[in-house]
Amino acid sequence: MLMADSKPLSKATNTTAAGKAAQDAVRFDHVTISFQIRSGNEVIAVDGFDLGIQPKQFVALVGPSGCGKSTLLRAVAGLIDPTKGQVRVNAPDSLSGFARVAMVFQAPTLLPWKTVLGNVLYPVRFGTKRSGVDYSQRASELLDMVGLTRFRDAYPAELSGGMQQRVAICRALILDPDILLMDEPFSALDALTREELQFEVRRVHQKTGKTILFVTHSMSEAALLADRVVVMAAHPGRLKDDFLLDLPTDRDTATLDLPEFAGYVRRIRDGIYGQREGK
Amino acid sequence: MKPNLRPILLPIIAFVVLIAAWQFIVVAFEIPAFLLPSPSAILKAALRFGWPLLTVHTAATLETILLGFAISVVLSVPLGVMLASNKLASEAFYPLLVFTHAIPVIAIAPIVVVSVGTGLNARLIVVTLISFFPIMVSTATGILNAPKDMLDLGRTVGASKWQRIATIALPHAVPFMFNGFRIGIVGAVIGAVVGEFVSANSGLGYLVVRSTSDFDIPMAIAAVIILAVMSVTLYQLTAVVQTRVSPWAPQSEN
Repeated sequence: MLMADSKPLSKATNTTAAGKAAQDAVRFDHVTISFQIRSGNEVIAVDGFDLGIQPKQFVALVGPSGCGKSTLLRAVAGLIDPTKGQVRVNAPDSLSGFARVAMVFQAPTLLPWKTVLGNVLYPVRFGTKRSGVDYSQRASELLDMVGLTRFRDAYPAELSGGMQQRVAICRALILDPDILLMDEPFSALDALTREELQFEVRRVHQKTGKTILFVTHSMSEAALLADRVVVMAAHPGRLKDDFLLDLPTDRDTATLDLPEFAGYVRRIRDGIYGQREGK
Repeated sequence: MKPNLRPILLPIIAFVVLIAAWQFIVVAFEIPAFLLPSPSAILKAALRFGWPLLTVHTAATLETILLGFAISVVLSVPLGVMLASNKLASEAFYPLLVFTHAIPVIAIAPIVVVSVGTGLNARLIVVTLISFFPIMVSTATGILNAPKDMLDLGRTVGASKWQRIATIALPHAVPFMFNGFRIGIVGAVIGAVVGEFVSANSGLGYLVVRSTSDFDIPMAIAAVIILAVMSVTLYQLTAVVQTRVSPWAPQSEN
C-alpha cells in the first residue's frame, strides 16, 4: 500500500460551512457549462462542479483532455459564462474588476509589435490601477525576478519559447492580481525549460502568496507544484478527487525522489484511470 | 560569379539580351516604327521630347496617383475596420462594395467626367474606385485574422471591444494592410492613366493618347515605360515603408 493512500487526506478542504465558503478566493457552485456544437447537439463540458479554493492556495486542476479543466479556468477569467451555477471570485482587498484575476495561457500570447517591457505593461492601461504604484518600475522588478532584465527592449520574436512564457507570467503579475490562472502554461515547452519554469512558478507563489489555479494534464507537474490537487474525469467533466499534498514548501528536483511524491502521482493516476491494477 | 550577385546580375543580363534581340529583330526585318519601334528609337523619341517636359507629365501623373491613393487609404482602412468588427455593417454594405468594385472603371470613367467635369477631381475618383477595394478587404481580413488567444488576453485584462480592436486587431492587421497597399498603389497607377485618357491635358496617360494620335509610337512607348518604372518603384516603396512601420512582422514575398 502506498503512503498517500493510507494517509488521512483532508476532506475539510472542500468544506461546506457557509462561513468558510465566504472566505474562498474562488468558489464554483454547481457549475455546469455546455456548448452547442455545429450539429445542434449540446455537449456538456462540465457537469455540476463544486469547489472552493482558499486564498493563497496553489491548486492544480488535473485531468484528461475533454474533462473541462480549461473551461473552468476560462469561466473564472470571465471568458465564458456558466450555463448553470455560479463562479464567484472574492478578493481580499478592495480592488475591483479585472485587476484581481490574471491569466497565463498555453501559448505566451505576446503582442509581437510590442517590446518585452511593452507587453508586460499592456494590462496597465485597462486594469484597475493601485494608486502610488510606478508600473514601469514594477515591470522592471518582475523582469528582474525572472532574469529577463537584459531583454526588456527586445521583441518577442527574438526570445525563446521559455523566455516568452516568462514574459507572459510577468504580464500576468503586473497589476498584482490576487488570483493567477494558468492554463497548461508549460505544455508547449521542452522538458528542460519546463522544469526550470515549474520551480520558478513555485518560487513566485512562495514570494507573492497568490492564489494559483493551475491547469495541467501532467500528473507529475500537478504533484510537484501544487498544495492541493483536484482530479477531474471527462465526458462530462466532473470532480473525481480532491486532496491536499503534504510536501515541503520549497520544491526542487529532490522533491521528485520523495516517496510521498510518487504516492501522490499514483493517487492522481488512480483518480484519472480508476483503480486499475498494475497502472 | 559570386552567388550573392546572381539574383542581381542574372536579370540584368537577361534584360540586356532581350533589348538587344528586340533591336536586332526590328532592324533586321525592317519593321516600321509605327508597328514596333526599336529600343533606340524609343530612347531617341524620349530625348527629342525633352526631359523637362517629360518630368512635368510624370509629376502630373504622380500627383494623381499619390492623392488618389491617399484618399483610398483614408476611406478604406476605417471602412475595413468597420466591416470586420460590425456584423450588421458588413452584411449591409459588403455586397454593395463588391458591386462598386465590380464596375469596370474604364467604362465608368467617361461618365465620371460628365458628372464632375474634367480635371483632377474626375481622375481622383477613378483612381479611388480602383484602389479602395484591395485596401479595404485586406484591412478587414487582417482584423478578422487576429488570433483568438490575443483577443482573449484582451478580455481577461478588461479591454472593451473597441480597445481590443485598437490595441490588438488593428496592429495585427498592419502587415495585411500593406499587402492591400501594394495592390492598391499599382491599381492607382492604372486608375491615373485611365483618368488621363478621358480627362487631362497633361500626364503620361495623356501623352500616350496624344502620341498615338500623331502616330508617334516610340514616344507613346517611352511614356508607357516611364509608367511601368513608376509602378514598380511605388510598389517597392510600400515594401520599404512596411519594414519601417512593422519591423516585427515577417515580410511577405513580393
